[in-house]
Amino acid sequence: MKTISKITIGLVATALLFIGCGDVKNATPLNEEKVKPTISEESLGLRKTDIYVEQNETYGHKAAYSTTYAGSGNKIKRAFQDAPPMIPHDTEGMLPITIDNNQCISCHMPEVAESMGATPVPSSHFLDMRPKHNYDGELFTKAVDNMKNEVSIKKGDKLSGARFNCSQCHAPQSGDDVSVKNTFEADFTSKDGASRSSWNGTKLMEGLDTTK
Amino acid sequence: MSLSRREFLKSSAAASAAVAMGMTVPAESQAAATEAESNWRWDKAACRFCGTGCGIMMATKNGKIVAVKGDPAAPVNRGLNCIKGYFNAKIMYGADRLTQPLLRVGADGKFDKHGKFAPVSWKRAFDEMESNIKKALKHGGPESVGVFASGQYTVMEGYAAQKMMKGGFRSNAFDPNARHCMASAVVGFYQTFGIDEPSGCYDDIELTDTIVSWGSNMAEMHPILWSRVTDRKLSDPERVKVISIQTYRHRTSDLADIEIIFSPNTDLAMWNYIAREIVYNNPDSIDWDFVKKHIVFAASPVNIGYGMRKEGEKSLTPVNPDGSAGKYSALEMQTINKEMKKVVSAKEAPALKPYGYKEGDVMVNKDAGLKHWEISFDEYKKFLDPYTLDYVAEISKGNPDEDINEFKKKLQTLADLYIEKGRKVVSFWTMGMNQHTRGTWVNTLSYNVHFLLNKQAKPGSGAFSLTGQPSACGTAREVGTFCHRLPADMMVANPAHRKIVENRWKIPEATLNPIGNQHIMKIHRDIEDGVIKFAWVNVCNPYQDSASAEHWIKAAREMDNFIVTSDGYPGISAKVSDLILPSAMIYEKWGAYGNAERRTQHWRQQVIPVGDSMSDTWQWVELSKRFTVKDVWGAQPLRGKDKNGKPNSLPSVIEQAKAMGYTEDTTMYEILFANKEAKSYKIDLTTFPQKGYDNTDGSGDSRNVVGSDGKVFKGYGFMIQEYLFEEYASFGRGHGHDLADFTTYHRVRGLKWPVVDGKETQWRFNSQYDPYAAKETKENGYSHAFYGTLAKALPYGDLMGIKNAEKTGLKNKAKIFARPYMDPPEMPDAAFPLWLCTGRVLEHWHSGTMTMRVPELYRAVPEALCYMHPQDAKDKDLIQGGLCWVESRRGRVKARVETRGRNRPSRGLVFVPWFDEKVFINKVCLDATCPQSKQADFKKCAVKIYKA
Repeated sequence: MKTISKITIGLVATALLFIGCGDVKNATPLNEEKVKPTISEESLGLRKTDIYVEQNETYGHKAAYSTTYAGSGNKIKRAFQDAPPMIPHDTEGMLPITIDNNQCISCHMPEVAESMGATPVPSSHFLDMRPKHNYDGELFTKAVDNMKNEVSIKKGDKLSGARFNCSQCHAPQSGDDVSVKNTFEADFTSKDGASRSSWNGTKLMEGLDTTK
Repeated sequence: MSLSRREFLKSSAAASAAVAMGMTVPAESQAAATEAESNWRWDKAACRFCGTGCGIMMATKNGKIVAVKGDPAAPVNRGLNCIKGYFNAKIMYGADRLTQPLLRVGADGKFDKHGKFAPVSWKRAFDEMESNIKKALKHGGPESVGVFASGQYTVMEGYAAQKMMKGGFRSNAFDPNARHCMASAVVGFYQTFGIDEPSGCYDDIELTDTIVSWGSNMAEMHPILWSRVTDRKLSDPERVKVISIQTYRHRTSDLADIEIIFSPNTDLAMWNYIAREIVYNNPDSIDWDFVKKHIVFAASPVNIGYGMRKEGEKSLTPVNPDGSAGKYSALEMQTINKEMKKVVSAKEAPALKPYGYKEGDVMVNKDAGLKHWEISFDEYKKFLDPYTLDYVAEISKGNPDEDINEFKKKLQTLADLYIEKGRKVVSFWTMGMNQHTRGTWVNTLSYNVHFLLNKQAKPGSGAFSLTGQPSACGTAREVGTFCHRLPADMMVANPAHRKIVENRWKIPEATLNPIGNQHIMKIHRDIEDGVIKFAWVNVCNPYQDSASAEHWIKAAREMDNFIVTSDGYPGISAKVSDLILPSAMIYEKWGAYGNAERRTQHWRQQVIPVGDSMSDTWQWVELSKRFTVKDVWGAQPLRGKDKNGKPNSLPSVIEQAKAMGYTEDTTMYEILFANKEAKSYKIDLTTFPQKGYDNTDGSGDSRNVVGSDGKVFKGYGFMIQEYLFEEYASFGRGHGHDLADFTTYHRVRGLKWPVVDGKETQWRFNSQYDPYAAKETKENGYSHAFYGTLAKALPYGDLMGIKNAEKTGLKNKAKIFARPYMDPPEMPDAAFPLWLCTGRVLEHWHSGTMTMRVPELYRAVPEALCYMHPQDAKDKDLIQGGLCWVESRRGRVKARVETRGRNRPSRGLVFVPWFDEKVFINKVCLDATCPQSKQADFKKCAVKIYKA
């Protein structure tokens, strides 16, 4: 089958960086090529200062995390369908997450989230997706057949232990500045996809059979 | 109950029940869901980042990636990814993707080392590479052509590069960034087991009672494994114990039952303390039956130096009266001089007493290579004698504010947990034990403890080296993209191994270069010495990621050489290069990675590459078209002399090549890549797995990129990725490295090798689970067979040296090593009073070229901070959020002070991550290495901090 796309994403990106270089397609032999030294080393990359000497002007981009208090109703849109939402509020005093003290879930558990103005922990976080293999101390056998890509999804009544470390996926965000723009475009299949998880029910299994 | 909870119950209950325990979802609900995302295409892929090797589900629409979700079928991560894993969706879409080759030129359009960059054609790029490689070969033979290779190569890229470098150019100046990451673990495996890579697997986490993290911030660096540890801990909080052994407090300690903060390098002493507790105080805990059947004891020299530059090397001459030497300042030489000799310190003297050293003695260092010999158990016991609780606690306590008795209690509890009968224990480590000037030693010490207790290579128990990079195992180690290695644990120094490879590659015998010593630091040093004239950076960023960085970036720019960097984005390496090539990124090509549990995972090309970028495989194969038999297979000079005093060289193999049916003008392309066997792997767009997927290398693509010959590239016309994979895999099949076939990997979520009779292997060396071990133990019925074959015949001696040179075979045995605590070469003193430790953060990958271009990740951690203790900050008049200079004998950088962040060092140590180009911390770090593994120690050097 002659592939998915005729859209050449490359051409778009080319225009961003190197305007007027479109004639490389008609390349001519070595040294006869009309090339011009137009791009300085300093213009490339994230660090625009001299990389050979550490001078006063070279230092990191100072973080400016939100100082909005938790529960103020401020939300950050999801980056794409079912992407982990980023943390819109000040986390001062809420971290670290320890075995005895996970302050995130005290506001984000579904039972209380709405009343706290917090994004509720979605249903996917209450599923145990890890098959429990069999080991009696003598012989280990698998509970699922990995050659068949079998899955095991069990519904639990508490937050999955695998999802206890909230900061593994969710992070506070420093302002709106970025060093380099990103041309990724999200495509939301559910109308509230930018604000809530749709990863439940049959969607958990969607697309998993990649052998068709 | 909240709305979302109710909704969840309603919508997902049926599906959840249906999919539980391997049942599939009814077809009608599957169809309904698919309709909702009808113009999305989901496919499985591997995560781009760490060595955990998670699976992801990736959605594309109209030729662009639109989403990533967890894959419930992926055994590693079962439906969950970390923040980096999810944002694989965006990594290829930074606006400054490299889209065309860029060459430094002058106003006349000719190459000019001091010129600015000009966009050039692929043809021009290859013309320049060809002429500069030919120039380099003429200058100094194959040793003058170097490649910075990668643990992030796909398996196929690494294999293609290996073939052209070693089979084509006959150069072993080919070494990966994985040298910085895994080399100590590898030498540890070789010396202990005779074969590379872990015995255990990630399922150990769910099966164990005890997780010990040694110098590894798993919570940030292997987040999904940490989520499995957390899940296990929460499932049985009383029984399951988590111990975090670190040089500073970080997130891994947040979930630990016990946190042990130790002084850098004293992990050597702590491992020996546990072994001493076993041998001296709990001899009943030793499983003598296991030890007698499976283990020998071994020792090696201690005066082996620190892998720094040695006197007499070109860049260290002349030695000047002020203490400076060549290109190195007097301050730098204060540390480098210890490479030649050092004074034994009070701290290490007790540990070195069994070797005949006392405090104040001058230790003269010598290159000992990998030499070791067998000793008696009594000799090992004598070696362990110094590691009493008092001595080890005294030198190891890393928090000056902690009570020594509290610290002793923790050490005792640690030993007790290991020793406790019936308690399963997994020891994990990563860079803390690998990036270490005694990295090989400390890796071997971990197995000692597990072996004595018979808690290795069993479900739920074992010492388990975690990998840093996504294919440090799969490509760097298994394919063998190191200067000294060949595929499947074969070595360039071994004539039989070379012959196997030469025959398989259909190249003349004696083509391969038997001398492989240009490891990654040596490549940098050879460039600085003017030996290497051409170097190519592949899928890594060596000019940002190497210690003593200032030397290497200067050597790239100031010496007469030609440096090429292939990358997706312009990082530091691209900036210091003469030619920059735009590389297709991970999901723009077919590929495979191998993770830390021996799991090989493949993916298909999801989208067409950006701009004119092309895969690294394509770049190597195109380069091979430029070199013929007569260009590379004539007689070649090598450095140094052989044991008869004759200058080293490689013979001409042109006549043999002709006898094989090649001519002088046959290209390396025809021999190594587009041969008859390769062409038997057909492009077949009608069947799985090729159906419906692009293959730029195989068939070209709709961009019609103008290739290396100035014509539109239409593809090689055969399934080149499958060819490269299958040919590579053929080396390991039947030799303990068995891989499944290409198509099988596209059907499943990876398999742990050896894959024998269609089954993956859970625990290697264990007769119950590993068919190779089962075969070896068929007669004797033993529980284990450590069947690796490297260094499996040893002379005999005592701690001081070899006494009987006659070698005894150690078939199916592993080794317990006597290896003492020693100081690192640079420690805090009056002038540079603090330890500097470097590393990563969860949100960024390595040097940040990808993750700093993902807005969510950038905003999560936009800069590298200097994490330090509030008291240290106060003492130096620094304020939280203020700027400071971090300065060593080698250089300095400016960073912002953080006294209350995720990393919380004790007094006396600072931590600075290395992802930030603007906080170029590797200028500060020292390029000392483990002298055996050649892996640099990024975890410890001495710095001073002052207000900026």
